[in-house]
Amino acid sequence: MFFNLVRRNSKRNRRENGLFFFSLLAAIVAFYIILSLPNQDIMGFLREMESDAVDRLLSLIPAFYAVTLFILFFLIYFASRYQLERRSHELGMYLMMGMRRTKLLTMLLAEDLWSSLVSIVVGIPVAILLSEVISLVTARAVGMGILGHQSAVSLSAVFWTIAGFVLIKLVAFLLLSGKFASKEIGALLSPTPEGAKRQRPAVLYRIALALGVLLLAAAYLLAISGEAWYSLAVMGITLAFGIAGTLLLFYGLRTVLGMLAQRQSGKSGLGVFTFRQLQENVIGQPLSLAVSSLLILAALCCFGCGASMTMYYGSNDTHTLDYTFQNSENPSELPEKLKSAGLEEYFASVFDMRIGQMRSESNDPAEAIHMDEMLALIEQQADSSAGSDLLDAYSNIDNPYVISLLGYNQLLAAAGEPPITLNNNQAALYGYDSFTNREKAELINYVLSQEPEIVANGERLQLTGTIQTRNPVTDRAITLYFALIVPDETFDRLAEETYTHYWDATLSPGFVQENGRMQAIQQINHKLDATDIHYESYLQSMGRQLFYQVASSYLTLYLAVIFLIIANTVIGMQFLTQQRKTGRRYRTLVRLGSHYEAICLSVNRQIRWFFALPIVVAAVGSVFGVRALFSGFLPPDLAENIPGLYRIAFVILFLLCVVEYGYMLVATRASSKYILTRMEAGREE
Amino acid sequence: MKQAILEIESLRKYYGRQENQTKALDGISFTVMPGEYLGIMGASGSGKSTLLNCIATVIRPTAGHILMDGVEVSALKGSKLADYRGKEIGYLFQNFELLDNLTGQENILLPLGIHGVTEKEGNKRLRELAEYLEITGVMNKFPSQMSGGQKQRVAAARALILNPQIILADEPTGALDTKNARVLMEKLSGLNRMQQTTILMVTHDSNAASYCSRILFIQDGVIFHELRRKVPNETREQFYERILAVMAQLGGGSANVL
Repeated sequence: MFFNLVRRNSKRNRRENGLFFFSLLAAIVAFYIILSLPNQDIMGFLREMESDAVDRLLSLIPAFYAVTLFILFFLIYFASRYQLERRSHELGMYLMMGMRRTKLLTMLLAEDLWSSLVSIVVGIPVAILLSEVISLVTARAVGMGILGHQSAVSLSAVFWTIAGFVLIKLVAFLLLSGKFASKEIGALLSPTPEGAKRQRPAVLYRIALALGVLLLAAAYLLAISGEAWYSLAVMGITLAFGIAGTLLLFYGLRTVLGMLAQRQSGKSGLGVFTFRQLQENVIGQPLSLAVSSLLILAALCCFGCGASMTMYYGSNDTHTLDYTFQNSENPSELPEKLKSAGLEEYFASVFDMRIGQMRSESNDPAEAIHMDEMLALIEQQADSSAGSDLLDAYSNIDNPYVISLLGYNQLLAAAGEPPITLNNNQAALYGYDSFTNREKAELINYVLSQEPEIVANGERLQLTGTIQTRNPVTDRAITLYFALIVPDETFDRLAEETYTHYWDATLSPGFVQENGRMQAIQQINHKLDATDIHYESYLQSMGRQLFYQVASSYLTLYLAVIFLIIANTVIGMQFLTQQRKTGRRYRTLVRLGSHYEAICLSVNRQIRWFFALPIVVAAVGSVFGVRALFSGFLPPDLAENIPGLYRIAFVILFLLCVVEYGYMLVATRASSKYILTRMEAGREE
Repeated sequence: MKQAILEIESLRKYYGRQENQTKALDGISFTVMPGEYLGIMGASGSGKSTLLNCIATVIRPTAGHILMDGVEVSALKGSKLADYRGKEIGYLFQNFELLDNLTGQENILLPLGIHGVTEKEGNKRLRELAEYLEITGVMNKFPSQMSGGQKQRVAAARALILNPQIILADEPTGALDTKNARVLMEKLSGLNRMQQTTILMVTHDSNAASYCSRILFIQDGVIFHELRRKVPNETREQFYERILAVMAQLGGGSANVL
């Protein structure tokens, strides 16, 4: 009998509170997905080449798990509270009928556990399926191929998912039951409407509102000025201002809504009612609205940052070379070796790239090069940040390099670019692309257009052309921020005799097309491993890039989705609960002759406003938040990429609109259904 | 002869089926003339609230007719029904049913918004009603800041704002103390006298009923007795005595003892 009641009640809760149930499922899926990250194919793959970084990332998982646990606790606490409030009358009736409080609490606990069990039974398979799909999709997307896919259900992930979920549910239950146990039966039977709560003097709310706006403005200013990144204290102040400002803003927002309600007075329709309902909702739960708004802000920032970092690491791929071989003993033999290993057919081009340190008569590498003329030209532009950066970098070149023109031109040819033409007393300038961002490149190219002369080991050379940024070897870890590309005769004179031959190679396009670049390289690596050829493949670069891409996108998107789900569930549930609590008012409206359509219109308007309030505050904040994160986290050249950022912003905005529309639709449906029951109940007593 | 505002013909409302059937109303007929102040009295469960709810279209009668200004009420649907509820009748609830998150003024003006009446027409009426009902001081207060009497007078103003054909009052003094009950009844009967407002009031408070011009007594779903105040000679006190006498019979007079 008792168990039947428990099961029926919990079923009814799930049906009436679909939004919450959905969020519980989402919570379980989220737990599992983060916990099973090490089992993902791509992580296994990355571990092979970037094991340190991957291990560091994976060691962060417990922290992410804890953060998720904490944030989901917030959701479950609020949602369970609304659910209890909604059932307040019913629970009061159980007590009136003589049920003891301990028995009632046991019943609630049993209901809670039962619904947890249902969520787990439904959620875990969904989570496992989704995690497998993600694993396959990412593996395919990066060109790993799905043949090697091993489906692995992570038992420890399942265990910790269930443990975490049950833990937060129990803690929330304990807190709420404490609150519930101290309530009188009378208070349970007829809960006081929020409107009847004691109000403080109106001026207090106006001050709160003004203060909130001021604090937010201050936080925004600190955030975009970049001040926040200078010290932990300033960052703390910025965050504190932002959080306090949001709280105060929502605390004082009732004044604005009251004014809006007054402005509706005398107009046709239920305008006054709509805004008074909204105002009451905001008065009732300013804290949860503020927290929801902050969560949405966090979600938007995560989306923004994650998307742009992914784009950055993805777009920055100036890939030309697939292999760089090094053969220090007998460099010229390398093509022969490839041929004898039967690998020649896989390569489209193999060419010698000679790179060496510049010779210096005084044996002091820093003395090898003098470029006063060039520095003077840069100095004219030193007031710009790029100018001062360049000046810093170029005045302290302690080991200048030279690159042979022949090799470099072959590289350019492989990339499909025109060759550089230099005469014997000319040189071109090389700088690796992350160092040479757009602004710096423009400045350098301007300087180069003046064709300044430099002195390299006592030899006068004229710089010409534009700055070259294409990496002369495949491994991105080798970074030269200053090198001269010189004709081969000049190279022989300038370079130390111990210069290095790098044999660069590109795979034949047909082979790549057939297997996908990643698989193609893996196959050749396998064959090369059988020989004594020392090689570096693009796979390492690719792996490193992929790692950043996966790490940034996976974690930020994961957090963003969690934040968004929680915030929206809390907003939606708060609205629906208040609607139930004030259901009598809707019946009064019906008796005063209001139409069903008019009431639904009012409710829909309430829903739109109620969702919009925290979202708009968050959206405004995110404009500053994302910019602040850019200036803190991202390389400066990405922050300059304004059209790209607009594109990201647009995509995020669109996604947000879709998600919010979905939640509003759910809330609208639920409330229209509820209003209908009010209409019908009006007919029958 | 004046046309009746409200005509009730053989109204029946049965609950349940066959052997368990309860006859809340069992063939009631009466008419209400314009400007009349009609009271309906009866013990608990006599069917008086069911009658009022049928007229207010809150519940649907099993059989019979309710004609408001000659129009069959039970045939109304959709927007016509909503208009009927808002414009033809004004309903005064025992527990006021004010929306507690709206100020007094907003509560009173709510029907205007619902029925799309412009502010100008409403404001004049609002001022008159607020002054007459002595609630100008609570116009900007929320219900939680008002006394019970003020709340019921605000509710009365809301019921009257659209100038309905008839006011249906369901135990309007039920939740009020004696003093506030008297103030309300005086105001209502003043409206009835001066503005010819038609009022149909259900009550079991004999004192409140003594303000009426005619009283129908209901027992077990049928009209059991009718009292008419003899104007202008009979005082309210004398009428009150007569009501008490009928109530004594109704509630357990000698017939029940025997």
